[in-house]
Amino acid sequence: MGFFSTALRIAEKDLKAEFRRAYEVLSILIFSVSSILICSLAWGGALAGRAEVAAAALWIILFFASVLTFTTSFTREVDRGTFGGLKTLPCPPSAILLGKILYAIVLLFLVELVLLLSSMVFLNLSLSEVFLELLLVFFLGMVNLSVAGSFVSGLVMFSEGKTLLLSFLLFPICMPVLVPSVLATEKIVKGLSMVNIMPELRLLLAFLFSITAIGALTFKFILEEA
Amino acid sequence: MVAAVEVIEVSKKYGYLWALKSLTVRIDKGELVAFLGPNGAGKTTLMKIVATHVSPSSGTVKIFGQDAFKNGGQIRKRIGFVTHEGFLYDELTVEENLLFYARLFSVNQQNFDNIIEFLNLKRWCMVPVKRLSYGLRKRADIVRALVHNPDLILLDELFAGLDEETCSLLVDYFRNQQAKAVLVSSHSIEWAKKLCDRGILLDKGEIVQDTQF
Repeated sequence: MGFFSTALRIAEKDLKAEFRRAYEVLSILIFSVSSILICSLAWGGALAGRAEVAAAALWIILFFASVLTFTTSFTREVDRGTFGGLKTLPCPPSAILLGKILYAIVLLFLVELVLLLSSMVFLNLSLSEVFLELLLVFFLGMVNLSVAGSFVSGLVMFSEGKTLLLSFLLFPICMPVLVPSVLATEKIVKGLSMVNIMPELRLLLAFLFSITAIGALTFKFILEEA
Repeated sequence: MVAAVEVIEVSKKYGYLWALKSLTVRIDKGELVAFLGPNGAGKTTLMKIVATHVSPSSGTVKIFGQDAFKNGGQIRKRIGFVTHEGFLYDELTVEENLLFYARLFSVNQQNFDNIIEFLNLKRWCMVPVKRLSYGLRKRADIVRALVHNPDLILLDELFAGLDEETCSLLVDYFRNQQAKAVLVSSHSIEWAKKLCDRGILLDKGEIVQDTQF
């Protein structure tokens, strides 16, 4: 079986198992919606004119939701002993990593949609005119988070206190994703055009290429040393 | 003749502890070999190294003449590995678990059906693995390891938790696998003797005895 079809099968298996459990996906979604609700109660309609605060709030929520997602990515496989099964597969280690990245992308995309829609309702943000631009920035940021998060999740999966370690490592590693994403979101909410967010998009793409290259080159050593 | 497994001067160190010390062993195709020994003797570590799951601290491992750690992907196609943990996902049904592995090994449907039939798992196929007893779960995991018809079968603590009937069934099955090499690690000398032709006793990471049963 080819590299991408192997990765797709692994992602499909993870998503199937995740949605069978349901309570973990639901808890991530509930966390996102309740965070938006709390922001709405605290700030009320004042956010409509405060693009920078809205952008920061949305990305803080997405970042914490992604931490919840990555803590169950590789670590659950190790805790339940099923990771050995992945190591028996006749595929390059990077196919396993790609499978986990695809799984994270699907989950975070779901979170992102719920987050954007609930922020339109509860934060009174008028995003309908810029929804596609916003979705592009969120999608690119989320893909970056998925690659970085899955890689870090793999990196710490055999460590003691892996959940704590993941949260500590993920924040500094994801700073190059969070900063341009927040800035680009702010500009879009303010009504600026796509041309104005090109520097942020370039930064996001550059980070994506870098972290993908690091992951692809080093992941086999992470697997072998375990 | 190319050996099925050649372990040459292999050592493995975990921190300050030597799990294996300069171990050398050759296993030919068609051989059924039992690794015996007390807890901590190095049986599981050796199995994991041969399965390419853990790399040795020093030494070389050759599987069917190829360096196990340079051609991992190709070699894993020819290995079936059963451990006492099991590699099945609780939330998925037996069939979903087995199909996941079968598709990744590009297994044909006939082989898939045959092995499920042989271990009497057909009626449990639609049941989520978390609902199965330990014995059934282990049987399903054995099917998972054999589904791609491997040439080298590694069975770590195969008999633990299985009833007499299943143990006998497995002994018959593995004894009929003429062209394959079967490596078993076990605490049960009785079942190891029934299954294997050769026994290797390990202690503190070294081979103490290598005998024909």
